[in-house]
Amino acid sequence: MGTTTRRLIGAASLALMGTAGAALAYPDGPVTYVIPFNAGGESDVTARYQQARFRDITGQDMIVQYLPGAGGAQAWAGLNSIEGDGQTIMGTNLPHIVLQPMLQDPGYKTEDITNVYMFHFTPDALMVANDSPFQTVQDVIDAATAMPGGVTAGGSATNSANHVANQIFMNETGVETTYIPYTGTGATETALVGGEVDMLWGYTTVAVRQGDATRVLAVATEERHPLFPDSPTFKELGIKMVGGAYRGIGVPASTPEEVRTQLSDIIGEINADPSFREQMENDGYALIDVPYSEMDTFMAERIEAYTLIAEQLQSQQ
Amino acid sequence: MANAATILFEALSPMNLLLALLGVLGGTIVGALPGLSATMAIAVLVPFTFVMDPASGLIMLGAIYTGAIYGGAFAAILVNTPGTPSAIATTFDGYPMAKRGDGDLAVTLATIASVFGGMVGAILLITLAPRLATLALAFQSTEYFWLALLGLTLIATLSQGNLVKGLIGGMFGIFLSMIGVAVIGGDVRFTGGMPSMLGGIDIVAALIGLYCIPVLIGMVATPDQHLDPGEARGFRMFEAIGISLKNWFNLIRSSLIGTLVGILPGAGGSIASLIAYSEARRASSNSENFGKGEPGGILATESANNATVGGGFIPTLVLGIPGTPPDAVIMGALMVQGIRVGPSLFQSGDDTVYVFMTGLVIATLLMLPVGLIVGRYAFRFITNVPKAMLVPLIAFMTIIGSFAIHANPHDVVVMVVLGLIGWAAGLAGFGASPIVLGLVLGQIAEQGFMRAWMIGGARGDFLGQLLVNRPISWGILALIVLTMMLPLLRMRTARRLAQQDVTRDGPAVAHRQIDRAGMAGSVVFLVLAVWMLLQAQGLSVMAAAFPYAVGAALGILSLLQILRSLRGHGGINAEGGSADGTVRGFALAGTMLAWALLFPTIGLFVTSLIACIVLMLTGQFGRLTVPRLATYLACILVMVTAFYMTLDRVLNVPLPQALLF
Repeated sequence: MGTTTRRLIGAASLALMGTAGAALAYPDGPVTYVIPFNAGGESDVTARYQQARFRDITGQDMIVQYLPGAGGAQAWAGLNSIEGDGQTIMGTNLPHIVLQPMLQDPGYKTEDITNVYMFHFTPDALMVANDSPFQTVQDVIDAATAMPGGVTAGGSATNSANHVANQIFMNETGVETTYIPYTGTGATETALVGGEVDMLWGYTTVAVRQGDATRVLAVATEERHPLFPDSPTFKELGIKMVGGAYRGIGVPASTPEEVRTQLSDIIGEINADPSFREQMENDGYALIDVPYSEMDTFMAERIEAYTLIAEQLQSQQ
Repeated sequence: MANAATILFEALSPMNLLLALLGVLGGTIVGALPGLSATMAIAVLVPFTFVMDPASGLIMLGAIYTGAIYGGAFAAILVNTPGTPSAIATTFDGYPMAKRGDGDLAVTLATIASVFGGMVGAILLITLAPRLATLALAFQSTEYFWLALLGLTLIATLSQGNLVKGLIGGMFGIFLSMIGVAVIGGDVRFTGGMPSMLGGIDIVAALIGLYCIPVLIGMVATPDQHLDPGEARGFRMFEAIGISLKNWFNLIRSSLIGTLVGILPGAGGSIASLIAYSEARRASSNSENFGKGEPGGILATESANNATVGGGFIPTLVLGIPGTPPDAVIMGALMVQGIRVGPSLFQSGDDTVYVFMTGLVIATLLMLPVGLIVGRYAFRFITNVPKAMLVPLIAFMTIIGSFAIHANPHDVVVMVVLGLIGWAAGLAGFGASPIVLGLVLGQIAEQGFMRAWMIGGARGDFLGQLLVNRPISWGILALIVLTMMLPLLRMRTARRLAQQDVTRDGPAVAHRQIDRAGMAGSVVFLVLAVWMLLQAQGLSVMAAAFPYAVGAALGILSLLQILRSLRGHGGINAEGGSADGTVRGFALAGTMLAWALLFPTIGLFVTSLIACIVLMLTGQFGRLTVPRLATYLACILVMVTAFYMTLDRVLNVPLPQALLF
């Protein structure tokens, strides 16, 4: 089906629904959705899930574009030079947009990025290979207490969400582990299943993909993840760890307040779609709803949490 | 699983055949243009596959992928620029063959080798995937470190004229690979304080610059044709088949190397083809001909890199771990379609995956006719187009190619600057390929070693982790020693023979001149080494270890070369030796640099149009008649418009917001 036909149908359905207020219509034409990473990752897959629903709701196409480089920094550094009409939006990721400016000069500051909606996170999960002697988190703590630094924990990159998870785990339990950074999630999976590292800081999405090859010791959600009913949350175990890598949508600073709210409403509507929720949860994602109106509070909370960790990570260098 | 006939029938449906054909054709073209990658083409087409039947969509994506890996050979052979990193080693013999008028033969050989390698990879994928996938798990950081070293031994092969200069180039390449945020340690290294350098030097941008800019400068240095067109000889198919049959063992060995290296998620087509090349040279009876246009070299690299396609799908489908970036995109597409790759895929009884694998075989076979026809056309085109048109065309491709990788103008500047460095280094006798090898393999070596160090440290057994307890590493180390020893032995025999000659003819009178250019180059590298060592002092231990080692090695080698240059041991690397700087050469360099710097502010279309006209005049020798000028101008307008529209509308590459367009 051609774009024009699709647009015509979209326009027709809008007219049928009788949505008045055409003057304020947002979006006005196809929306470009810039993903600051390569195709194939979590940011891309979830954007693809949103893509079809965005068209159903607005009648406009959503075009996914990739702008990878420097762990996302290249795209975020250029966000505010894009025209702020809401026709170009960009994926934003936490802790990236907080940690990068704290630890180096990536060409942008955290407050330069206008987040409109945070729609999901991939919860941190502590995983081991299925033949590992570690059956519970307590086993890990015992081993790490017996030999400080002797337990190796793999993860993707330095100063990343996985690195942060390892640091929080050490802070909360008082044990010392050795964090081994890899390039990308794929490399960490081979390292875990192949036995190079004793355990892995991954996400529930990784655990879903690995199926029986790995075992999830604990998940950093408030309540047990529906796909892992047998894995406890860290909270249940008395370890204060809830979080992971958050993904949201940002716009250039010049975008009018009205458009920000409208976009936030659309993303919220997609998030409320039961088929979307099911698709996301089956892959291991956890949905959250932080609309534009609640963004400042949410960001302030996250920044405070990451500031302490960033100082600890830096002192280890 | 349904029976094989149903699967075959489904894979061979007219629709799927058509999609495979279009995929191979599109992939070959995208692969032939440096900078445009299979990853990009696949990512653009993914949304279209959502409306297709999953198997058809996948067949098309697989066809694009395999076609793109093959297409990389065209640019490597005809313009000395690898269209994809997988084709780096194809330049070693492909371009010398094209230079001496055998470009058509080289393209046909590359086609045969690619089909053969692709078939071996695809058949192993279908038959042995679950078993072979364990190899991906058996390879740990340590093995990647040794594998990278094995690849680096190729520097010795490539710097026949002067080993020290080759090693200096290799160290410089490793230095380039360390620029940016260190994966281990997280420190910012060697960026000179520029945020734009945080992401490091992109390998593809570096490849385009290092290989292509010197060729362009060489092209405008003389009025001769770029390549010798030779007489019309058809595809030279029988000749090529004859050479392939003689090299049957080389083809099988290279295809197996390609498949096995393809299975390793951290390696990829560039390493596979480099190792296959190195092994082919070691085993060949006329190894001294490698690097000078030996057909066996092309057969080795092109069969190996297409075998990585099938190999790369093995961990992707069996373990759910993408073997290469295009695999990652295809895996994402599968997930959106609701097909979950990984251990459960082969037990689920879903035929889609088998239809897809059969489609890959069909696409590989289709490369033969498509490749021969496209190859013939490309060869004729490159040899027949006048220089005044070829120079702007290739220059324009380098600019948009390096821009399209990340839609980042910074990569374009890096490409031109590295190209000029490569050209200057070539003048001083430093070849480009050792630099490229260092750049491609540096990060794999560093990260592999540092991880082994950290893990070994945590377990209290560093040497065990690095080598002693790792049988696969023993094997790779043995290969390294073998590869290093054989040329040395050969060199000794050669020297003994030469000495016998000397004693017979009386002592040769030494007429040796000081190698001024080589000395100047070595001084620059010495300064760089000192800067590296000073900078490394401010880094964390994890991030500083390699800079110290590489900086020290670069410093010592540069000092050695300064002494050797003074004593007259100049020597030029096999494929070193740039064209001298002519007025036209400097005009070209200046135009490229201005183009790269100005297009983000003025606009890609306008600057490209102006730059292409300037380059057309730079490439024009002899009198330019008015009708001819008009034709040229019209061609440039069409060319720039076509590429601009492709980038903006088809590939969806975000263009910089500029004053004009």
